[in-house]
Amino acid sequence: MTRVGGGFLALIALTLPLWLPSAYHLHVAIMAGIFGVLALSLNLLLGYTGQLSLGHAAFFGIGAYTSALLTLKLEWSFWPALAAAVALAGAAGWFIGRLSLKLRGAYFVLVTISFAGVISLVSVNWIELTNGPLGLPGVPAPELGPWSLRTKTAYYYLVLAAVALSYVVSRRLVDSRIGRAFVALRENEALAESIGVDVTHYLVLAAVVSAAMAGLGGSLYAHYTRFVSPEVFLFSYTVTMVIMVVAGGKGTLAGPLVGAVLFTALPEALRAATSWQWQMLAYGVLLVLLVVFMPRGIVPHISASFSRTPRQ
Amino acid sequence: MPKRSIVLVALVLAALVASAVPGESQAPVKIGVIQPLSGPVAASGNYVRMGAEIARDWINAKGGISGRKVDLLIEDNKSDPKEAASAAEKLIVRDKVPAIMGAWGSSMTLAAMPKLEEYGVPMVVETSSAASITKRGNPWIFRISPPSEMEALGLEQYVDKLGVKRVDFLAVNTDWGRGSITAFGDMLKKKGAAVGVAEFMDQSATDMNAQITKIKATGGDTLFLTTAVEQITLVMKQAQEQRLGRKIVTTGGSSSPTQLIKQAGAAAEGSYHIVFFMPWFPEAMPDGRLAKAFVDEWAKRGHPFEGLTEGFRGHDGIATIVEAIKGAGKDDPKAVRDALWKVSLMGVNGPIKFEKDGPAGKESGQSKPSIFVVQIRDGKVALPW
Amino acid sequence: MNGLVLGGTYALLGIGLTLIFGLMNVVNFAHGEFYTLGAYAAFAALGWAGVDFFMAVLAAIAAGAALGWLCEVTLLRPLRNESIDTTMLVMIGVWIAMQNAELLVWGGVAKSIPHPFPTAPLVLGPVAIAPLRLFVLLIAVGLIAASWLLIQKTKLGRAMRATFQDRDTAALMGVGIGRIHAATFAFGSALAAAAGALLGPVFLAYPSMGDLASLKAFSVVILGGLGNLPGATLGGLLLGISEELGAGYISSGYRDAVGFVIIILVLLFRPAGLFARQERIA
Repeated sequence: MTRVGGGFLALIALTLPLWLPSAYHLHVAIMAGIFGVLALSLNLLLGYTGQLSLGHAAFFGIGAYTSALLTLKLEWSFWPALAAAVALAGAAGWFIGRLSLKLRGAYFVLVTISFAGVISLVSVNWIELTNGPLGLPGVPAPELGPWSLRTKTAYYYLVLAAVALSYVVSRRLVDSRIGRAFVALRENEALAESIGVDVTHYLVLAAVVSAAMAGLGGSLYAHYTRFVSPEVFLFSYTVTMVIMVVAGGKGTLAGPLVGAVLFTALPEALRAATSWQWQMLAYGVLLVLLVVFMPRGIVPHISASFSRTPRQ
Repeated sequence: MPKRSIVLVALVLAALVASAVPGESQAPVKIGVIQPLSGPVAASGNYVRMGAEIARDWINAKGGISGRKVDLLIEDNKSDPKEAASAAEKLIVRDKVPAIMGAWGSSMTLAAMPKLEEYGVPMVVETSSAASITKRGNPWIFRISPPSEMEALGLEQYVDKLGVKRVDFLAVNTDWGRGSITAFGDMLKKKGAAVGVAEFMDQSATDMNAQITKIKATGGDTLFLTTAVEQITLVMKQAQEQRLGRKIVTTGGSSSPTQLIKQAGAAAEGSYHIVFFMPWFPEAMPDGRLAKAFVDEWAKRGHPFEGLTEGFRGHDGIATIVEAIKGAGKDDPKAVRDALWKVSLMGVNGPIKFEKDGPAGKESGQSKPSIFVVQIRDGKVALPW
Repeated sequence: MNGLVLGGTYALLGIGLTLIFGLMNVVNFAHGEFYTLGAYAAFAALGWAGVDFFMAVLAAIAAGAALGWLCEVTLLRPLRNESIDTTMLVMIGVWIAMQNAELLVWGGVAKSIPHPFPTAPLVLGPVAIAPLRLFVLLIAVGLIAASWLLIQKTKLGRAMRATFQDRDTAALMGVGIGRIHAATFAFGSALAAAAGALLGPVFLAYPSMGDLASLKAFSVVILGGLGNLPGATLGGLLLGISEELGAGYISSGYRDAVGFVIIILVLLFRPAGLFARQERIA
């Protein structure tokens, strides 16, 4: 991505609230941003280390519940609660990473699914802690010093900052020696190990950072929607994240962000375009078509077609 | 000019003239509807939608609201609270609806509530049963369905007739199921009954044999069952296979006894059901004529009979909103909200009038719906006493 | 006893998926939708065409095979050289599309599938079982046995095993690779559809019934080892029985957790699956 292109995009993103037609569009933008953070987090595992985590909603949910419970029940302020959410989610990631030391591929997937399943059941049944199916309404809005970040515009900038942070962290990680170790792990683990790459260490690291980032997304979600219920652990959230990463282009950093924006806007666009009976069917069909025509993902596909065009 | 063109011009002129026929502002009155139209409870959400559409058509047939047609903007919340909030945002901001009806499940309703407060738009809650909905201090909420506590109170007068001495509970593991157990448990204890075990089932579970075995072991005489009709069917069949042999009382009004008879057959014999609408005996409803007209219209549209026990909620919700818009004289959300406090109308379930509920200064509205008990006897729905 | 019935159908689901996931390396999230399709196909056959119950089950199997073949040829074949995540994503799309198409066609109201068996339980010694469930168990066992035979004894089965063990050599030996892929996917999907048609009358048919089925199928496949047919069979039975038993002893709210915890434990201690000492199918 060229400097000019990146700068242009940043300008658009920074001024978005000024030229979007309505608060509803800003709402969609905020949700896209939150999912952007989530997609970037999943991308670290899926795109870079090649391990598919299908329980990612668990880290998202842990972040959301932690943040919500601390601010609701213990009356913490938003920022320490956010930090705690990130930390706790990261700890869960560490747990999963160490648990799956010897597991790869399909087995890792299954452990992550099972973990998410157990956490989901706990959130539904441990009523004393989580209020069970009734959820936690009334999660307070964050405050920055004397200002409340309750308004949509303010929240948008908060989410934008989080997206930028996640992007920078991902970029730094990927460009560093750690990132190269990730890729080595993904491409040929045996070979990587033979040249001294401590595969386990890097896998756990990836899991921790990925989970922590997802926890960040969870906390942002909780304080925006102001209502957390066990539905955050729904498999459909994980599926949505996977769609965003793979269809956007895993293994790239722009891909998940493109995927997040596209697949947050698409259901809403379908809501406006068709009546309720056809919305999800259209979504499924569009997804299938997208994969068939752009199997590597949107961003890789576009980059490839640019590089095919001869430059002057 | 060739003959065809003349005809064409004449048609266009006629169309222009016709569209210029004077009426009040032609813009329709839009009412938002948020229901689970896909996902595990899609059946119920669709029944409510069908009832709402009947209300809309009846109102439009009578001239609408001061000559303006009523338009229902129907959104699917996909049984996901996040979608319920997004749908509310879209309806309020893009479509500028003055009022919404929704969102069926309690967590969906709770998720949409912050949007109502953010933008100042009222919502009529037609199905959700969680107490917290009206107790949270949200002055934009008006509920016509009974919270579990109210439902339990409604049953209190029948407890002796039912002969309940030792009761066990089996409920779906949601806010509704759990709330029901608490409410009915408290009421039954007050009446001197002994409460045994409370078992749960996951919303999508199909095998409840283990729970039934545990219940069988308590030696109680009654089982209170709270879940949707599909699971009730399965529980009854499995209870029959295990020869549970005790009185079953279903709560929550989602039991659709007609469907139970069809799908559970003999396994449903003798069971009691708390319902909020008795489509088998419309004349026994507070407004017999309206109830019968609703049942007939439903049948005319080819909707399944078993959906009536939930579909009426859609009708009553829309009728309430329309009444408020008429009272407000304009489709401004705040005016509609103020008018909701003053409405007094007769719905299919019975009289609808809101009373204050919740913390002072920020009360929500709660109406007191009528509650009925029916029994399945000889393969038919009957009045038990 | 119920555990066996459930287990038998889990085994059917598992065998189908172990072929698709274990051999073809496709993460088939739509597997549960073929299960649902089976139930609805049986419902449609009984309701619209008025055939008898056994024919309805056959119709369901045919529908599963046909749609499975179609999916493989139109969607998976062009993507065969792409990464596993791509094929997974396309099957996610198929999953969403199929489930919502079912919702559109049959509506959200659960359908009861009529069956010709009496409801009074048969008492066999200390066990009481409903005739319908016994029938389901017998048919499931029959289909499982037929699958084993197909894979082990027939030419098609040998061709399948050869293709997935070493595709290039198999091609050199004259095996039609494309046909084998399509046949394998069709076969796996047909088994899922059979499971749906069998369990449909026991429970009810509704559009989202496949979601849990998919998850259980994946668990069974991994318990038994990828591509391991006997493993999938035993895994399915084990899951069914342990679910029944587990629910009796643990608070019913946590019942599904039993399956998850078992999976985690198995993977911790025997990552290649419980039955890894068995030969892989190939």
